[in-house]
Amino acid sequence: MAQRMNRPALAMLAPTVVLIAVFVLAPMALTIWLSFQDWSTQTGFETASFVGLRNFVDIFGPTTIGRDFKTALFNTGIYTALSVAVILPLSVAFGLLVYQKLAPGGVFLRTVLFSTYMVPMIAVALVFSKLYSPTEGPLNQILGWIGLPPSPWLSSPRTALVSIVVLNVWQQVGYFTVLAVAGLTQIPPVLHEAAMIDGANAPQRFASITLPLLGNTLLFSAVIAIINAVQVFEPVALITQGGPVDSTNVLTYHIRRVGIERAQGGLGSAMAVTLMLALIVSIAALFAFAQSREAKP
Amino acid sequence: MSILRAIAGASAGLVFGLSAASLTHAAELSFLTHWAPETVAKLEAAAAAYSQNHPDTKITMRAVPFGDLLTTLRSSGGSAHGVTMASIYDAWLPDLVKNKFVAPAPDQVASETTKNWPASLVGAASAGGALFGIPNEIDLYALNYNKKLFAAAGIAEPPKSWEEFLADAKKLTDKAKGQQGFGLINSWTAGVIHPFASLLVSNGGDLVVDGKPTLDTKQAKETFDLYEMLIKSGDSDPAMGTSDANTTGPFLDNFVSGKTGMIIMANWWESALKAGMGDRFADVATAPIPVGPSGDVSRSTSYTWMTIVNAKASPEEQKEAWDFLNWLNGPRSGQNGASAMGEILMSMGILPSRNSDVEAFKDRLASDPFLKGYVATLPDAKAFPVVLGGQEFSESLQKTLEAMEFGQLSAAEAQKRAQADAAQILERAAK
Repeated sequence: MAQRMNRPALAMLAPTVVLIAVFVLAPMALTIWLSFQDWSTQTGFETASFVGLRNFVDIFGPTTIGRDFKTALFNTGIYTALSVAVILPLSVAFGLLVYQKLAPGGVFLRTVLFSTYMVPMIAVALVFSKLYSPTEGPLNQILGWIGLPPSPWLSSPRTALVSIVVLNVWQQVGYFTVLAVAGLTQIPPVLHEAAMIDGANAPQRFASITLPLLGNTLLFSAVIAIINAVQVFEPVALITQGGPVDSTNVLTYHIRRVGIERAQGGLGSAMAVTLMLALIVSIAALFAFAQSREAKP
Repeated sequence: MSILRAIAGASAGLVFGLSAASLTHAAELSFLTHWAPETVAKLEAAAAAYSQNHPDTKITMRAVPFGDLLTTLRSSGGSAHGVTMASIYDAWLPDLVKNKFVAPAPDQVASETTKNWPASLVGAASAGGALFGIPNEIDLYALNYNKKLFAAAGIAEPPKSWEEFLADAKKLTDKAKGQQGFGLINSWTAGVIHPFASLLVSNGGDLVVDGKPTLDTKQAKETFDLYEMLIKSGDSDPAMGTSDANTTGPFLDNFVSGKTGMIIMANWWESALKAGMGDRFADVATAPIPVGPSGDVSRSTSYTWMTIVNAKASPEEQKEAWDFLNWLNGPRSGQNGASAMGEILMSMGILPSRNSDVEAFKDRLASDPFLKGYVATLPDAKAFPVVLGGQEFSESLQKTLEAMEFGQLSAAEAQKRAQADAAQILERAAK
């Protein structure tokens, strides 16, 4: 009886399962398989030859392959950490700003903030590459007006990655502000009113009510922000080409360079698998951290 | 019954019509390039002229930024539906041949090319004794300098030796004005390594000899030291040398706006300088690369570009593509014995390479004050090494030079790392 009832359900699920298998699971499985092969992306899969863990040994080894990969991995980690560390607090701050009802213009401000997310990256990249111009860029002119020395921005390995993070924050913060506002709307106003009657001031209410009840929203935002940051590609490809001195060479760009430009498909796949594993571990750690906090009395 | 006969007749007519259409099937070719829109328009005009006599051949152009050219070629070229023809840099050829990406030229095209181009360029477009592309542009490097800045600094003529070069760079540097003596380029592989290679060969050295890197020589040491001196003295500011994916950016802006006194660049950037400087382009002059202490004569690094045909395209498409390329690069497609390709190249300030093009444009090449300096360096130019793994080798050397420029490595450390990395990369690629 139960089997007969399951058949229609299975039939209805089948198209989706097949689509996921074909377009998600199969490419992932293929990438994992290729990571253990020596294979040129310019040839068919039949030319791949099994090399065991050699690609993984190479990408973590002392050669140029390993050195470049570890630099790209490190840059991606720094880029992700900085992006998440700036975007999340800023999105909550902006969320509180546009959600408050003390002053008018909240909806307008929300629209303005979200509009940056809708600007195509090619336009953002073009504008920011000019804004960052070390000698003729307006940002350095503004610094000069307030008596600060010019910054090299994208032209120095010390500041180039941070400059790309700033660009990312500018573009993404509006989206995360909208998420934060959605989270704020879920907090019953009665909790704030009760706290006010008990004499809690605004910072106390924020720390004891707003922030804990925004937990799920912030967890979701953090996961999305991490995934977005790890996948950064366009600003690097459009503006810096990974330089100077590899300071903005992030993993997606490096994988493209190795796997496509140099046609080293096996090595590129090993890098992609490592990136995927790093992402899975990071997200799992984030969920574990969130669960451990929830478990606390 | 008559209805059935009518249907049968109509069906037969349809089948016949479809068969005839398939027999006269038009060849659809595509051409991938990194040229700017105005140059692509000239290429489209040439393709339209070709199509007048070949109405069954339809040619479309596709342009991408230089930084994306190889990736686009690699990612779209692996199938029969990829681009049919592409413009490539000679250093990429060995790897593309190894991957069976490029088709060998038919005998007739190979023999015509061998007859009409300098042997060195035919060699650069060949691998394993077979020709894989028709050479078009030849690029080389020279010292470009700003005559106004030279006059203001009291410098009468361009430097001939490295000693004079360093002295002039110092005189041209004015930190208060944000002005540097000599402009380095970074974040763009060719922009970093070609000027370095030009100084190295002008110092009697080489990057690679017989497939082995030669960055551990005395000549190379002196070249690394020269860079370190320029940076430590502040006469070159690496932060002013950034390039973007379109090979433009601050390094170009700084030269155009008179903040860079000297720079080593290729002839093809004439059009970018003209666009950026307008009338002030007259302030730009060209001189041979200064000769180093171990060098005997001024030399330049040269490289060529060629057009190749996708080996995965159908035999008909390949045949049509070679026919078009042969015409495009031949003496009947342009004016006064020049090829259409030669005319397109000259419109960008790029030196054509076909013997008949050099002859057709000899008056202009001899009188153009900017190009004249490049043409003069041609006889002593050394070709950039065309080896398996050339692109990876170039990118590795770029990173090492940039690390030295930004103070992460000393000249000695950079030289040691460059040699070790190059040896490792070339050995791996040759396997």
